[in-house]
Amino acid sequence: MLSVTQKRDGWSQKALPKNYDYTSNLDTWPWATTMPHVVIVGDRGSGKTTVLALLYAAQVKSGATRADDFRFHVGLESLEEISEVFQQLMSGSFPDSAAKEGISSITFHIASRKAGLGLLSRLRSQGWNPGASASLHFVLLRNLDDEMARYRIGGSLVNTKLRDVLESDAMIILVDSTKLVASGQEDPVAAMTTYDAAVESLVSAVQRSRGRGSARRFHPIFIFSKFDSVHKEALRRAELDSAPPAIRETTRRAAYARALLDTNLKKSITRITAREVQGVRFATPSYFFSRVTTEAATGDRKERVRLRQTQGGGWEPDYSADEYLALLESLRKLAIEAGG
Amino acid sequence: MPCALLGDRASGKTTFLGLLYSAQVKYGTGVQDDFRFHAPIQSLNLMSAVYEGMKDGRFPSATLKEEITELGFIFGYLRKVVGKLPYYIRQQNWARPFSTLRFSAYDVSGEDIEEFIETGIASRPLIQQLLKSVVVVVLVDCSKMTTEIDTPAYKKMLRYDSTVAKLLVAFQTYKKQEYDRLKDSGVKAEAPRIYPAFVLSKFDTLKDDVLARLGLHRGFPESKRQRKEYAEALLRVFVPQTLSQIRGGKIAGVSMDRAAYFLSWVRTETQEGMDPVGQSRIVRTGFAPEGGGEADFSYDEYVEFIEHFRDIAHKIPDEILEAEKFQAQALVRSA
Repeated sequence: MLSVTQKRDGWSQKALPKNYDYTSNLDTWPWATTMPHVVIVGDRGSGKTTVLALLYAAQVKSGATRADDFRFHVGLESLEEISEVFQQLMSGSFPDSAAKEGISSITFHIASRKAGLGLLSRLRSQGWNPGASASLHFVLLRNLDDEMARYRIGGSLVNTKLRDVLESDAMIILVDSTKLVASGQEDPVAAMTTYDAAVESLVSAVQRSRGRGSARRFHPIFIFSKFDSVHKEALRRAELDSAPPAIRETTRRAAYARALLDTNLKKSITRITAREVQGVRFATPSYFFSRVTTEAATGDRKERVRLRQTQGGGWEPDYSADEYLALLESLRKLAIEAGG
Repeated sequence: MPCALLGDRASGKTTFLGLLYSAQVKYGTGVQDDFRFHAPIQSLNLMSAVYEGMKDGRFPSATLKEEITELGFIFGYLRKVVGKLPYYIRQQNWARPFSTLRFSAYDVSGEDIEEFIETGIASRPLIQQLLKSVVVVVLVDCSKMTTEIDTPAYKKMLRYDSTVAKLLVAFQTYKKQEYDRLKDSGVKAEAPRIYPAFVLSKFDTLKDDVLARLGLHRGFPESKRQRKEYAEALLRVFVPQTLSQIRGGKIAGVSMDRAAYFLSWVRTETQEGMDPVGQSRIVRTGFAPEGGGEADFSYDEYVEFIEHFRDIAHKIPDEILEAEKFQAQALVRSA
């Protein structure tokens, strides 16, 4: 069952158990729904929980505006954990280990409505019906290496998380910007190398798990976490500006991100952007840049999240809100496309 | 129609109930006679004690608060059509002159509700009773509204926001489950709806700097729309998760869109230039033909609160009766 490409790659040779049915139908699994599954992968400490918490913070803010043009609902099973990390962020702390452990998956139901329906209140109201919303199920894959190792020894089918991964509609790949290096600076034993191999292996597993000519598209999403802490030297050597191009400048933005990924996550980005493998087509990757302003640790106080005042007079973490809103919109579109 | 009251520790739940009772007494003895209320004896005993204390200038004592686990009133609103009938017909029971609303306050700890949040099963009757509520009254303590992020009050409010958001989603989940159950059993039921009411308690303690920062003035507007905007400006800052989950209810299939907002304040004695020592005392009104010697509080707001439920009481009973009829059928079947 291993493809030729994989046989060349020592790391991923044993990545998938031989008895795994790659063409099995998603609908036959008990948890299966039309709700798109988004897997979040990231190196240890890359900020997976923080990203999810900031995505929630962006929703809370958008969902409570005067304009009332965005609404969301969080299932009871997910709210306990996500509101805990939200509280921590709003208190100026990063998610603690207990809160991180608590979050393994989360479901959001989101809806937004077009402007200009102000007078047509009935239509406006219908825009919020459950049928008009998009649902997204996020799965956090912690310790990617461990997960893959467990998978390699064959216990995969009882590992629902890995099923989630293989049948997911999108994968958010976190790139810890503090670990980025410039071309020519690569260190073969750097943490990014191992991570790159693990992500590449996972992506190829996803590819193989789809049936030939599968209509479902897989959406790779790269999030450069901690981008405010990226090494300036890495950007300078790559001849990049200190800030990425604006969200709407998609082409320039992609080029900016690729300049970093081609050096740091070479295998993964090559795999993702390869034209077509076994008839499986990946969607064009999208790129987002996350930052949270922090206050340096002092004495007995840990590094803290800086809070900033909002227009309404309250507080919120000082983060790249626009990036998260763009991410949210892109996920909403993805969910609609997937019929979630 | 069951109605639940949610409030943080020391947010003024008992005071709110005491003031509501005072307003009921005054409003229910007005000349118009289109609002009446009834309270079971246990509730009446407790509320009378709170009422008496307030007339004596005292806030409810801790012992009295502890005695409250479930407290109920039945509000009766004269039906519009019946109100136009001659007096002697109006008095006949067959005319069903009043639409009723059962207002209950439960003292339920966070741990009690945790079971439902974690398992999705409400096994305890009190929790089931609570989750059946169609009206959810949320007390938001204005004395804890601060823009100083490193204060305990700020953190308390953050925690309270999470708790209320979770509770509201618990209500939505339960309602949706019940609705789906009814639908699966062939009972035609309307899409579930919860009526939230926010009471900004201790409004007189809201700090000027908070209002200034939010661009609000001290007076609460009169028009319904402006009241909503004013209150939501506060909720957006201090309980954003709650506000967003109220709106998000519609996405979950349980509309909570018809939220209403009220203020609660009670004037307390202050001595100029001195900080109050111990529990402050309630200022009482002077005697006048319409009554007197009562706590000086936001009476008009409480009347608004009582009146808010008039429409709901007229509308809801059919749905509730439908659900109760189904439950009775289910019981007969299982017997």
